[in-house]
Amino acid sequence: MKRKSLLVFLCLFSLSYAFAQDITVRGKVTDAQNSETLIGVSILVKGTNTGTQTDMNGDYSINAPTGGTLVFSYLGFISQEIAVNGRTTINVQLAVSAQSLEQVVVVGYGTQRKRDLTGSITSVKGTDIEKSPNTNPVSSLQGKVAGLTVVNSGTPGAAPTIRIRGVNSTNSANPIFVVDGVIQTNIDYVNPADIESMEVLKDPSSTAIFGIQGGNGVIVVTTKRAAKGETRISFQSNTGIQNVPNQIDVVDADGFRKLYTAQLANLGAAPFDFTNYTANTDWQDLVLRSAVITNNNLSISNSGEKSTTLVNLGYSNQNGVLKNSGFQKYTARLNEEIRINRNLKIGADLTGFHYISNPADVNLNNVLWAAPVVPVQFDASTYYSMPSFQRAQVGNAIANLNRTDGTSLNKGYRAIGNIFGELTFLKQFKARSAFYTDLGFNGSRSYNPLPFSFINLGEGTIPTTTTFDNTVKTSVSQNQQEFRKFQQDHTITYDTTFNNIHKFTALGGFTSLYEGNTSLSGSRRDTSLNIPNDPDFWYLGIVNNSNPAASVGGGGGESAQMSYFGRINYAFRDRYLVNMTVRRDGISKFAPENRWGTFGSIGLGWVISDEGFFDNVKKVDFLKLRSAWGTLGNAQGFGNNLYLPGLNTSVVGVFGNNVYPSVIPAYIPDPNLHWEVIRGFDVGLEMKAFDYRFSADVALYDRTTRDIITSVDLPNQPLNLLTNLGTISNRGIEVSLGWNDKIGENFTYSISPNFSYNQNKVESIGDNFNFQLTGNGGANRTVSGGSIGYFYGYKQVGVYQSTADLDKMPGFANSLPGDIAYEDIDGNGVITPADRTNLGSPFPDFNYGINLTLGYKNFDAILEGQGVAGNYVYTQRRTQNFAVLNYESNRLNAWTGPGTNNVEPVLDNTRGNNFLFSSYFLEPGDYFRLRTVQLGYTFGKPMLAKAGIKGLRLFLSGQNIHTFSKTTGYTPEAPLGNILGAGADNGVYPVPAVYTFGINATF
Amino acid sequence: MTLINKRTRNCGLMLALTLVFVMSACQKDFLDRKAQGAYDQNNYPYPGGSGPYDEFINGAYASLRSYDVTVMPFVAAVSIRSDDADKGSTPADGPDALQMDNLNVLPSNGMTNVLWLGHFDLVGKSNYVIDRIKNDPNPLTPANLKVEAEAQARFLRAYAYFMMVRLFGRVPLIDKVTTGAASESNIPQSGPAQLYPFIEADLQFAAANLPMSYDAKFVGKITSGAANGLLAKVYLTQKKYAAAMAAANSVMTSGQYNLSVPYSTVFNEEGENSRESVFEVQATADAANPTAFGSQHANVQGVRGTGAWDLGWGFNVPSTSLEAAYEANDPRKARTILYTGGTTLFGEAVPSGLPNPRYNHKVYTNPARRASVGNRFGWWMNVRLLRYADVVLMYAEAANEVGGAANTTNALTALNSIRARARGGNPAILPNVVTADQETLRQAIRRERRVEMGMEYDRFFDLVRWGIAAQELQNQGKNFVAGKHELLPIPQTQIDLSKGTLTQNPGY
Repeated sequence: MKRKSLLVFLCLFSLSYAFAQDITVRGKVTDAQNSETLIGVSILVKGTNTGTQTDMNGDYSINAPTGGTLVFSYLGFISQEIAVNGRTTINVQLAVSAQSLEQVVVVGYGTQRKRDLTGSITSVKGTDIEKSPNTNPVSSLQGKVAGLTVVNSGTPGAAPTIRIRGVNSTNSANPIFVVDGVIQTNIDYVNPADIESMEVLKDPSSTAIFGIQGGNGVIVVTTKRAAKGETRISFQSNTGIQNVPNQIDVVDADGFRKLYTAQLANLGAAPFDFTNYTANTDWQDLVLRSAVITNNNLSISNSGEKSTTLVNLGYSNQNGVLKNSGFQKYTARLNEEIRINRNLKIGADLTGFHYISNPADVNLNNVLWAAPVVPVQFDASTYYSMPSFQRAQVGNAIANLNRTDGTSLNKGYRAIGNIFGELTFLKQFKARSAFYTDLGFNGSRSYNPLPFSFINLGEGTIPTTTTFDNTVKTSVSQNQQEFRKFQQDHTITYDTTFNNIHKFTALGGFTSLYEGNTSLSGSRRDTSLNIPNDPDFWYLGIVNNSNPAASVGGGGGESAQMSYFGRINYAFRDRYLVNMTVRRDGISKFAPENRWGTFGSIGLGWVISDEGFFDNVKKVDFLKLRSAWGTLGNAQGFGNNLYLPGLNTSVVGVFGNNVYPSVIPAYIPDPNLHWEVIRGFDVGLEMKAFDYRFSADVALYDRTTRDIITSVDLPNQPLNLLTNLGTISNRGIEVSLGWNDKIGENFTYSISPNFSYNQNKVESIGDNFNFQLTGNGGANRTVSGGSIGYFYGYKQVGVYQSTADLDKMPGFANSLPGDIAYEDIDGNGVITPADRTNLGSPFPDFNYGINLTLGYKNFDAILEGQGVAGNYVYTQRRTQNFAVLNYESNRLNAWTGPGTNNVEPVLDNTRGNNFLFSSYFLEPGDYFRLRTVQLGYTFGKPMLAKAGIKGLRLFLSGQNIHTFSKTTGYTPEAPLGNILGAGADNGVYPVPAVYTFGINATF
Repeated sequence: MTLINKRTRNCGLMLALTLVFVMSACQKDFLDRKAQGAYDQNNYPYPGGSGPYDEFINGAYASLRSYDVTVMPFVAAVSIRSDDADKGSTPADGPDALQMDNLNVLPSNGMTNVLWLGHFDLVGKSNYVIDRIKNDPNPLTPANLKVEAEAQARFLRAYAYFMMVRLFGRVPLIDKVTTGAASESNIPQSGPAQLYPFIEADLQFAAANLPMSYDAKFVGKITSGAANGLLAKVYLTQKKYAAAMAAANSVMTSGQYNLSVPYSTVFNEEGENSRESVFEVQATADAANPTAFGSQHANVQGVRGTGAWDLGWGFNVPSTSLEAAYEANDPRKARTILYTGGTTLFGEAVPSGLPNPRYNHKVYTNPARRASVGNRFGWWMNVRLLRYADVVLMYAEAANEVGGAANTTNALTALNSIRARARGGNPAILPNVVTADQETLRQAIRRERRVEMGMEYDRFFDLVRWGIAAQELQNQGKNFVAGKHELLPIPQTQIDLSKGTLTQNPGY
């Protein structure tokens, strides 16, 4: 070590011969916070080209004029200027940049100072993510990032739906994740407590470096590294209870009897005999439960002179609020970096992930539909079936839950690893090569047990009977999937500063990505024996070969991508910033002639506050104007080999008792099928003011997606056409504000609201489309000039109270009193399909969040709220009409005669006019949710030191405590995944409220 | 310093060179990825010997078996809508079907949309077969195989259009596969004047180029008999009586069919693909695949009981009007109408107190087959779309309409052959019809057609083509508006999809 220092010293000395009259200044640079040495801090004699860096020990040595000034700068820390004043030893402590200007953010294939960015990137710190009791880290971003829409799923283990700056595609609008360099489509495997930071790359200039994968935005996830210069053990744990804050308001037994009787009377049918149906069952209550959630994390890290090591273990267990469901997640990560010498660093990272998932085998709609007059269970193996009017369509949910409890074993294993080498040469060059792999193995086994006996209660002259379905035989099934991903990245970075005023960084690189998967599945039924209800037997081999043929399946897929990319960052006096990116992508999804494309961006920045004229502006500490333009591609969400449709072999031809295969192409591909092209423009203004207490970031964007890949339902054709559709645009504004301050010595607070507005517009549907694109059977419509997939239907104006109403109000030819009266939009005196109109968009115009933190002495509190506005939710679950289903309580007010009700139509499910899609089935989707309320206490250091504890924080937290909303479903967050048919609530899994207690300890 | 730098510089150069090499070497092959574990249409290794296009034709046959084409929406439109049957099931169940029963079908009715989609699926798949034949990459495919495959496809296409012209009146005429330009698929409707010649041409081609029968392993494939039989119905619907008579006659003289199968057996499992069967949708089921290869046709009409009597959904139940249409002691009545509290043809006692007083006996399944398949829902039951008795009655009707002494005799002979079989050897019932009066014979044939084919898909279309739909259905208390209710509304979903290229039927 000493010899190397000497070498460095000699080297520096040899450079400095020209300044022989100067003195040599030596010293050590450390982190002000924890006194760790800082390696690679750049030290510059102000106004010259003379510079050096700190070595492995944080030491430096530089020749400087006795009256000169040294500038110490380091990424992520506040730069300091120190006058030499003839001193030969200057030790410096650099402070972490709290104001986040000096903060380093991770961009594609590198890092940049936040102040130098020309694009829109929002960074969320790991400490903010680990505070929320979510098993999926993405859930914790909700409400924290302007322009980011997160629709959480309450299903244990399910990933939320993410949209960045609106909906850019009709197909998949999901962003990609880049986890420590690996391109991923989900980050279920990441331990939320093991995240250093998440960066949301929103504008095309930031994501252009990811080319064809960056079209929907990019979320970069950086996991934790060992803290410098110490051994640290940290432990986080929280445990809580989840419950469903609001059930869907369905009627009870009395209500059901009343409504069904009224409905039968309206149909002119004989009344139903409820004599034996005396129960009052709240099916939701029986199916939903309070469920435990726990997240635990242990990290051990060590940082020595030549190597750093981090070991992380995580375990979380989320029971679903739907009975019998649950998700367990185990993670383990080892990160190791070895500094072989000053110029060469190698490292490796290995993450293991294991999950166990228990799905609840019950359909929530089934629970809502079940008649409340039916009792649940007679004894352990005898249940009640539904009355004849819904027996064929609605099952006993509890019987189903109990029968299938524990009969599905789903497990997965995943190993994600990387190994990299980083070589610094010729001072300004850095070459980095990294190889990544992601291997997954998922398997499931399940069992179909014997059914229960069912009691069919007598109705009228039909006697009560007990039935047992003896045609059901036990069966087992087994599934295995294997997937693999190999990625390599090779980059060379050239980083230099000319004349101290031209800062120049150039990056060139190559990357390739291969993904493949295979799967195998089978199921067998034993027609002679009953396979025991014991998982030890649930293998295909348990069924003797003499049983009828098993169903088996197997498949696979492969895709590949390779890309070249380059980026230049240039800063003149740190004041004028230029950022240029180019990327050339080749992707196997498309035909060879349409396979390669080039994408790129240019961004400009101007740090106004560094201008001379700004010295007079006292209150503003920093002001930057930035703007960027970029073009990139998107082909997310579709399968492999898009240009070569496979054959659909699922149907067969039958002749006599002979079965013959048949084939039809899965779809028709447009011969010129290519990726979606996204172009975007972004202007932003960043400001820090009032001694960095105030921060503001305002961005305006205008983005269009051309040639959207869409699977189009052709009129009168059995096959869908996969083609490039017209153009949609998303224009919006994002505002993020922050204020943090202290009152007195003990009280700190911060408040940071964010707000975004997005307007989605279909610019053109494409020249080839002389027909309508619809979703949800016509309820959603996509046409030029409107929002994508807006709701299109009739507008309710009331209910026809009488035949007199029918005479004076426009109606259908067959309208009757008690029917919904619709608005006569075209004013021709009758209601026709031409009276349908735009009823609003399923996509929110506004997304907002507000985060409040308070600190008083050792206490701290977090308050987070989040909401959306401007969208509508389609209560599709209420339109189901195929049997007599339980009623939601709004139907208690159904029209029964003149003057009784002017909203709820008559109880008669055969009056088709009332089931036409209309505003009657829409609810405003605006909501505001109290996302997090957390109270924490951090113990004082002196108290802990005795116990050998460095830090300890305890907290109580509530999540999703209350949602203010006008919707009647479990959650106002209707699914947006199906873009042409978004916003339909057809039995959305409830998003639970979570109350947790947690501990954070560092040793 | 120099030491280190030299070493690292060399490393860097080597690395860079390696990269360049690796990148250039793998570029082409790396991105060429084929589908894994899946065929595309150019490499599907369908075994030779059974015909070069069978894998595509089979897809069209599968479409024929689908829910949309021959199951619930079909039954609702052709039977529940007529005076033969009521909706059935429980009162509020199946509101779309109830609209059919009450003749207040709205353009939003889901069944009309499904019927539209299902039949166009059949058209599309048939067109796809024809397209494959025209663009066959194999120059050695024998011409006769091409012709026969095309004949199969054109029959199925004609069947779909014949259904659609009677259901909807006007539909887009699509005779090729859309390849790329999406706008090609949105075309306006053609009326009966364009559709019927198209249907006739397809069926004439099929009749001329299909074999009369197949090996047992392809039993149920379209034959020339099926093509002629359907052609007879197409002619009859257009009142082209002489042509109908000729087409029916060619079926009757083909030697493939006769009335030897007892009426009670015709609809049983063992009556499938018998001498009675002219065009029968094929379905099968076994314990391993109780539903996948079958048709849900029997299931939707099955007895709606509980436990062992839960045989189906109980839709499409015989009406009191049909019940009253039978002559005294006509055994066909008991084979058509299964009474709650009555006895099945297999001697089982039907429980009393079921939701409906009557069920369709013709789709009643053999309990032995239910046990062997391990399923009560009858997915193995074929759908008899065209029976020989239907052809014979069409012949009788056409002959009587053409008129003349010889034709009247022919008509009487044909009619009485149907009655003779129904009699089942019992001389006390169903005496021969004896008349020389055209109108009397017309009424006799119509009555015979109704009871012989009760619950069998033609009643509504028969009433319409006889021009008595308004009268008969109004007699049943239904609000039949002449000029409107002969047709279903064009589904609003399709009108919307077409952006108004499709137009609504009158009155809707």
